[in-house]
Amino acid sequence: MSRQHTPQLAGLVLIAFFAVFPFVYSANDYPYIMHLLITGFFYAILASSWSMLAGYAGQFSFGHMGFTGIGAYTTALFCHYIYLSPEATNLCTEYAIGDQFLIFVNPIGVTSSTLSQDCLRQALSAWDGSVQVTAMPVWLGIILGTVMGGVFGLLIGLLVLPLRAAYLALFTLGFSEILRAAISAEIAITRGQAGIELPYLFDQGITLFGRHFDKTDKLPPYFVMFFLLLTCLGILAWLAKSKFGLFVRALREDQDAAAALGVNTTRYKVLVFVITSMMAAAAGAVMAHYVRIITPNNLMILQMSLVVAMAVIGGVENFVAAAIGAIIIEFTLELLRNSFEVGDIVIDMTIWRLVIFGVLLMITLRFSRNGIISPIINHFLRGHVAKETVAKRGAAAESAGGSS
Amino acid sequence: MIDLVVTGLTKRFGGLHVLKGVSFEIHGPELIGLIGPNGAGKTTLTNILDGAIKPNSGTVYLNGERIDQLQSFEVARAGLGRTFQVTRSFRRMTVLENLLVPALALGHGHNRAEVDEKAMEVLEFLTLEHLRNEYAQSLSGGQQKLLELGRLLMLDADVIILDEPFAGVHPSLMEIIYRYIERVNEAGKAIILISHQMDSIFALCKRLLVLNYGDLIADGTPDTVKNDPTVIEAYLGADDDEQGATNGDQAAS
Repeated sequence: MSRQHTPQLAGLVLIAFFAVFPFVYSANDYPYIMHLLITGFFYAILASSWSMLAGYAGQFSFGHMGFTGIGAYTTALFCHYIYLSPEATNLCTEYAIGDQFLIFVNPIGVTSSTLSQDCLRQALSAWDGSVQVTAMPVWLGIILGTVMGGVFGLLIGLLVLPLRAAYLALFTLGFSEILRAAISAEIAITRGQAGIELPYLFDQGITLFGRHFDKTDKLPPYFVMFFLLLTCLGILAWLAKSKFGLFVRALREDQDAAAALGVNTTRYKVLVFVITSMMAAAAGAVMAHYVRIITPNNLMILQMSLVVAMAVIGGVENFVAAAIGAIIIEFTLELLRNSFEVGDIVIDMTIWRLVIFGVLLMITLRFSRNGIISPIINHFLRGHVAKETVAKRGAAAESAGGSS
Repeated sequence: MIDLVVTGLTKRFGGLHVLKGVSFEIHGPELIGLIGPNGAGKTTLTNILDGAIKPNSGTVYLNGERIDQLQSFEVARAGLGRTFQVTRSFRRMTVLENLLVPALALGHGHNRAEVDEKAMEVLEFLTLEHLRNEYAQSLSGGQQKLLELGRLLMLDADVIILDEPFAGVHPSLMEIIYRYIERVNEAGKAIILISHQMDSIFALCKRLLVLNYGDLIADGTPDTVKNDPTVIEAYLGADDDEQGATNGDQAAS
């Protein structure tokens, strides 16, 4: 086996490890570790898709976290406001579809008064249990969220077409902040800072591998997030290997030169925004159903900085490195939470860990621009190149010398 | 049959009249020098032909297809390629990947074996074969210029505009670029060569276009252009003309 296959083999081992881990691990902190892994996978999707956008295509966007918000809020609003009922409520906005009624619940915002219930709750209390309404399927909400992420990705992609480097970063930062401000402001619909609750990923629980899992069990969401991560990595791998990857990298290096060589730069720039935005939105939607509440604070710029830092420390020009970096950093940040005492002084690691993280980021940027994981992978993939070049040059010189 | 027809191109940047109605035609695999002092409009003309900027008026037809309103990538696919005055290789991509970009952009991706073979031929011709898996940024300035020329070979354009291909190039690489121009020309491609190096222009080109402040002041064989009083006054100058003539003669002999 050649050393070029080592990273692939390591990747398979890693996938196998994560696939069996929930079944073999049984310590007391099982739910906590599972929670960390689910969160780690979530950040891995964000970091790897952002690495395609920023590292491969050179579109240094700060709007990625905004797209997770679009995915999360789309499915949250969808599940919160739309129901199917066999009877007309005669209170809500409703449309007959076959023998069912599609109910649009009126938004009532945040209120403490039990008197002002929304139209559906009023109808339900009037029916007094004689009618069962059906909630919208969670999977449909997640798909809608993903599609909505793509729609906004298309919009942003078109808007930033003429923008480069710092201007693109500023624009996307503005987009993300406007989105957050709009969601915070529209209390009547989004419930503002109070946040909006979402149903469980599997509200009735789910039976997997002959075992029934309760809706609060960590294993089903673990595998949903894990498979979403693998799907995203699979798509990214395919894109990176195809002409898409070649063209977006050419676009990053020199947009005009790429166009002069026949590359439709507009198409690929917009496409890379659409695809990576959909990944962020899908991850955001699944994560929101897992933590079951979404607030505008999830879109804060600090969150975006975390994703950027994860991708940069892993290696922004390699999406696998970015994903691994995200999981490692998520774990490190958590493990560093334990405060300790030096003599009489208590070192509060809940705060100091962020300082350590910041220092790590600065050291990485200064001394290893390609991150920490990416050079290891490159060592295996490209380590032979220099040797080959020298060998070929030697051979060329020899044959030239021989013929003269 | 190659057919480039440029009619009445004008371009203004604010109050600056960069091109004032430039017209010329190229039929067949000609090797044409485009000369003129700095600010004459050579690069603007190139950018219009290549689709990077749109003219205020005038038309460009390539092989019967109007290309002056097309985008750069469409012009490239229609068969017009160019290099840039300052080398613009894709620095953090390998030499081979640099060559694959135009080939795949033309949609030859389904036949990768053939594309790879052609790329290797191009690299051998440019003496870059041993560097194929190196990143372009690790190449010397001259080698990056060769790489840019290689990308044009992969684009397989009918008309090629070379913007200052000799600037800052060592004589040994110059030799390769000379051979490149001759070979591409013999393969039936038209070449527009922009250069301030009169020796090279006179040695290679059978026809010269002279731009001066947005006007095309001469279009003819090197000999007629050299002796054209307008050109002498505007560009070559009385003393330079002597020099240019001698160099031209030397190269011809």
